Amino acid sequence: MSEPAGEVLRDLARLLTGMGPALAPEGSEALLQSITEAARELFGAQACSLALLTVDQSELVFTTASGAGASDVVDLRMPAGQGIAGWVVMSEQPISVSDLQNDARFASDVAQSTGYVPRTILAVPVASPRRTLGVIEVLDRDTSRPGAEHDMRLLSLFADQAALAIENARAFADLGRSVLGAVAAAAPGTPLAAALTAAAEEAGEPDGDLLRLSALLGELDRLGPAERRLASSLVEALLSYVRGRGRRPS
Amino acid sequence: MRPLLADGALTREWAWAGATGAGVDVAVVDSGIDAGHPMVGGVESAVAMSYDPEEEDGVRRVEGPHEDLFGHGTACAGIIRRVAPECRLHSIRVLGDRLTGKGAVFAAGLEWAIERRFRVVNLSLSTGKEDYFGRFHELADRAYFAGVMLVCAVSNVPSPSYPSQYASVFSVAAHDRQDPFGFDYNPDPPVELGAPGIDVTVAWKGDGTIVSTGNSFAAPHVAGLIARLLSKHPQLTPFQVKTVLHALADNARA
Repeated sequence: MSEPAGEVLRDLARLLTGMGPALAPEGSEALLQSITEAARELFGAQACSLALLTVDQSELVFTTASGAGASDVVDLRMPAGQGIAGWVVMSEQPISVSDLQNDARFASDVAQSTGYVPRTILAVPVASPRRTLGVIEVLDRDTSRPGAEHDMRLLSLFADQAALAIENARAFADLGRSVLGAVAAAAPGTPLAAALTAAAEEAGEPDGDLLRLSALLGELDRLGPAERRLASSLVEALLSYVRGRGRRPS
Repeated sequence: MRPLLADGALTREWAWAGATGAGVDVAVVDSGIDAGHPMVGGVESAVAMSYDPEEEDGVRRVEGPHEDLFGHGTACAGIIRRVAPECRLHSIRVLGDRLTGKGAVFAAGLEWAIERRFRVVNLSLSTGKEDYFGRFHELADRAYFAGVMLVCAVSNVPSPSYPSQYASVFSVAAHDRQDPFGFDYNPDPPVELGAPGIDVTVAWKGDGTIVSTGNSFAAPHVAGLIARLLSKHPQLTPFQVKTVLHALADNARA
């Protein structure tokens, strides 16, 4: 593939990535919140929370929670190399533990990670076919209700829903690479695929400020025409001010 | 040609009466084993593996005593020790402080066990990554032909997981009975065996115990049983061991 064409592909990837959040469907976070609330309700549990791996995969960050201690839990970080949640993520195996309070060391370990000392914990990995994303935990569920013996499998179904929501949101956060990667996958082994893959890799990380702006555009798009016109005139005013400032003698 | 399994019918008496697992090497590929835990009673060897981009194959191997980072490997070792008290336990630690490189490290740990011809390998962990389908399949075949029994916890997750998915391994899920020597045969694979894994009291970090549930505790019950069987009948192949387990399963006996 010629160099100018490669340049175009790289620009395309950057442009797509910048636009991603504006195009993303509304409500990924609301969906995850709704999943933790539905699971908590269904299991008759005190709390349900979702923790996701950081980019370097060394920590788990609680992103969503419902029930007891929920407000303390969100944004809490813990090393991925310890605790029940850590083992679940590492091993990709679900586990439940039922006598936490009998073991003081263990209880404090869990309490640190949840802001609430439970008696029991059920934890299931959240994973897509491509990668492990995190863990979903249910604390102090009602194990006397009919069908409780299927809880681990049921929570795995919720985990699958969460994984889909997370992967969708992430595809839009990195739209350039996602689109070029998808097109490349459709033509495996060809020079076009190689060029697309290279351009996707060279497009670099999305720029945080630009992504924020793009997300705001997406939000505006969901408002009415009056709000959109107002926003346009505000942005135009800002741009003409900035351009004017740029022409001023220093 | 090796002789047939037994002269008469296969019985539990023939299979493992008086057996202790003595002389059988059992590897636990997991988070490490706390060798000093009273339910473990020592390990024969230990190696800790971790992701290291500086190494040629991306995996660093450190031989010598190590701690269990989570407690889970110790739990598995304690179960195996209970079922096969005199087996030789080997800790192969492949789970560490981050997930990066897990597939490569996990595969290297499994390969370590196969190369050393450890007869039984407990794998209470899995990977769902499609990229590793081929690598683990190749290792599972190598193990089968080398007479190494891979005992895998089936993941409860609906999507595929390796190596528990392959036909040559002993794939185990939890059933709700507590008898450590009780197990079921499941004629509807990929899960082939059921063993205790619900509300089991297991060893954990800090010399303590916890009561826990998961297929990951069912697998070591079967690993221990196979170690007992092999201590009395060391010549058995994975195919023959499956045949014995099928004949002696709780739900296959009158």
